[in-house]
Amino acid sequence: MNSNLIARQAKNNIYLPFNGRIEEIIPLAPDVGLFRVRVESQLTYSPGQFFMVSVWGAGEVPISVASLPDEGGVLDLCIRKAGMVTTAIHSLQTGQSIGLRGPYGNGFPLEASKGRDIVVVAGGIGIAPLRPLIHWLIRNPDKAGQVTLLYGSRSPEDMVFRDEIEKWREGGINVVLTVDKGNEKWNGHIGLVTGLWHEVRTDFKKAAAYICGPEIMIKAAMRDLFFLGMPDNRIITTLEAHMKCGVGKCGHCYAGPKYICTDGPVFSYEEIKKHAIL
Amino acid sequence: MKGEWILDKNHLSYWLRQLRKDRQLIGPLRDEGRDIVFRTVENIHEIVLDCPASLPSPKEFLFPQYEPMLRLNSNPSSPPLRKGVRAVEDLTDKNRRVIFGVRSCDISTLGLLDKFYLGKYRDPYYEQRRKNTLFISVVCNNPEPTCFCIGLATGPYLEKGFDIQLTDLGDRYFLQTGSAEGARTVRSMAFLFRRPTKLDYEDQYEVFLSSKAGFQKRIGLEGVRQMILSGRVKDDFWQWVAGRCFECGGCVYECPLCTCFTVTDRVYPDGIERVRLWDTCLFKGFTRMAGGVIPNEKMVLRTKRWYYHKLIHYPETLGDFGCVGCGRCTITCPGKIDMATIATKIKGLALNGDGE
Ligand SMILES: Cc1cc2nc3c(=O)[nH]c(=O)nc-3n(C[C@H](O)[C@H](O)[C@H](O)COP(=O)(O)OP(=O)(O)OC[C@H]3O[C@@H](n4cnc5c(N)ncnc54)[C@H](O)[C@@H]3O)c2cc1C
Ligand code: SF4
Ligand code: FES
Repeated sequence: MNSNLIARQAKNNIYLPFNGRIEEIIPLAPDVGLFRVRVESQLTYSPGQFFMVSVWGAGEVPISVASLPDEGGVLDLCIRKAGMVTTAIHSLQTGQSIGLRGPYGNGFPLEASKGRDIVVVAGGIGIAPLRPLIHWLIRNPDKAGQVTLLYGSRSPEDMVFRDEIEKWREGGINVVLTVDKGNEKWNGHIGLVTGLWHEVRTDFKKAAAYICGPEIMIKAAMRDLFFLGMPDNRIITTLEAHMKCGVGKCGHCYAGPKYICTDGPVFSYEEIKKHAIL
Repeated sequence: MKGEWILDKNHLSYWLRQLRKDRQLIGPLRDEGRDIVFRTVENIHEIVLDCPASLPSPKEFLFPQYEPMLRLNSNPSSPPLRKGVRAVEDLTDKNRRVIFGVRSCDISTLGLLDKFYLGKYRDPYYEQRRKNTLFISVVCNNPEPTCFCIGLATGPYLEKGFDIQLTDLGDRYFLQTGSAEGARTVRSMAFLFRRPTKLDYEDQYEVFLSSKAGFQKRIGLEGVRQMILSGRVKDDFWQWVAGRCFECGGCVYECPLCTCFTVTDRVYPDGIERVRLWDTCLFKGFTRMAGGVIPNEKMVLRTKRWYYHKLIHYPETLGDFGCVGCGRCTITCPGKIDMATIATKIKGLALNGDGE
């Protein structure tokens, strides 16, 4: 009842969080957990958008949606312990509530890549915002051609969503994995994701790409794809910035003439170059 | 009928007293440090009108330096803090205020601030304060040496955008109403005012002309914008600017159009408050991300961003410069890289060719 009241108030105050209840916390890697949060089933959001997630007393941080909205009123947030607020989030337990505001941001332009081959490039926890995109592509095979996921992480232990990769393959996605440093059991590639373009069997000129990861990886991947012939308006990435409000007011995320929170966080390489965002 | 009236100066104090009955009266006062600050007026005779610009600008009544936003109460009888949900109190400021003695340049910021705060996402804290604040502005008969509103059409006299505008005619004020609330306020005490005569109009025009003549600075910003857009302001110029910046943030705090803030949670024995505080893009940590990466670590990126935001991006996105020529940064900046100086230097680049 209370949470309804707050959800109603939130319509008048963009800074007022509503509450979600943590149903399950699945450890995915050292310092990374998947927080499955029960929200009102009408809550809609799309891949590439984010929520301002908060713990009273610690603060708010932007976290991407890691699920599609119609997965039964559960919002997945994949969160890496990186500092003060994310550590406070990690100290929460199943059954406790967590503050949410959003969804914010523009999301991936899913219609723009309609019917094309798609290359998804993920580095580390950058896979989180791409996961709902992958789910969407699996569910809508008619909306895309061949889909390849190139996913790199530091080590096999750091690779999140390992258990889902088989399912993604069954769903028709060509998944290619790489790590910086392997172990005895590792039989995938070793090296950077940007060394895996030869694994993508497509005409880059006609395909589209979705990229997320550390900034240097994003920059390298965008440039490579451009040189491989992909038009810059179909090289899509999602950017990170320090964010305090998520709604274009605090100024922290302002880059070039754009606010990453409201004009992004998803941008094409074309926009990034034009507005000198990165 | 046009909203034009005459207020006898002898009636001013009575009028303000009446206004104070259902609003907090704010005005320019001289504080202990001799600065002019907008504060709650206790004694009406302490209001100082013919004075340098206030530091900081009256924006602090729409967007205060420290503003509690939300409060989660944890009274001992309610269940433990993290479990379940308890009502969160919205701390939106509901005070009604009348701010007297505001200058035209500060009134001119309201258009841009409204567009900024009340766009797609409406900022409820600004909105409430804005709705509850009546501005009574006074035309500057004696512009300061630092003022350059005249080049930007943001002062010293306004055609629109004000609630109530006064022009000092010596023994009386020429009063204009520019909003419904302004008109209503004047009409509710109509007995204090009379209609202007031909002589009043003549005096007002004369005062207006002499005020216009009094400007020492006449800087427009469109030419500066064009210079930057044409790529003629090179990076070594911005390096020079950055080299002189002390990173004190003074310009940002005084600027009536700077809006950046940070948000933090304050934990008290009886609850938690989420507050926002002024922050500035000139500080190094402003863009710091987890893990320590700072996109705008280099000073030059920060000073350049400050100027680009006001001169290039605001005109692009909101249709106006992020500067009204109030001259506060000129008064404040110890490095002498204020808007007027930089604008003049950039124009100088045009005259001297591309080199410096
Ligand atoms: C659009 C977007 C989506 C994101 N999605 C995810 C995700 O799905 N999973 C995930 O683990 N992380 C994600 N991040 C990064 C995450 O927001 C930061 O790790 C987090 O803000 C760090 O906060 P902290 O308090 O734990 O760290 P501290 O270093 O203690 O940060 C202090 C403050 O700085 C700010 N801040 C610091 N780093 C960042 C940052 N990288 N981004 C934004 N603000 C920052 C925050 O306001 C924070 O309160 C995303 C960031 C953005 C911008
Ligand atoms: S810039 Fe100076 S003269 Fe112009 S309105 Fe402001 S204070 Fe008055
Ligand atoms: S996060 Fe505040 S402006 Fe973008």
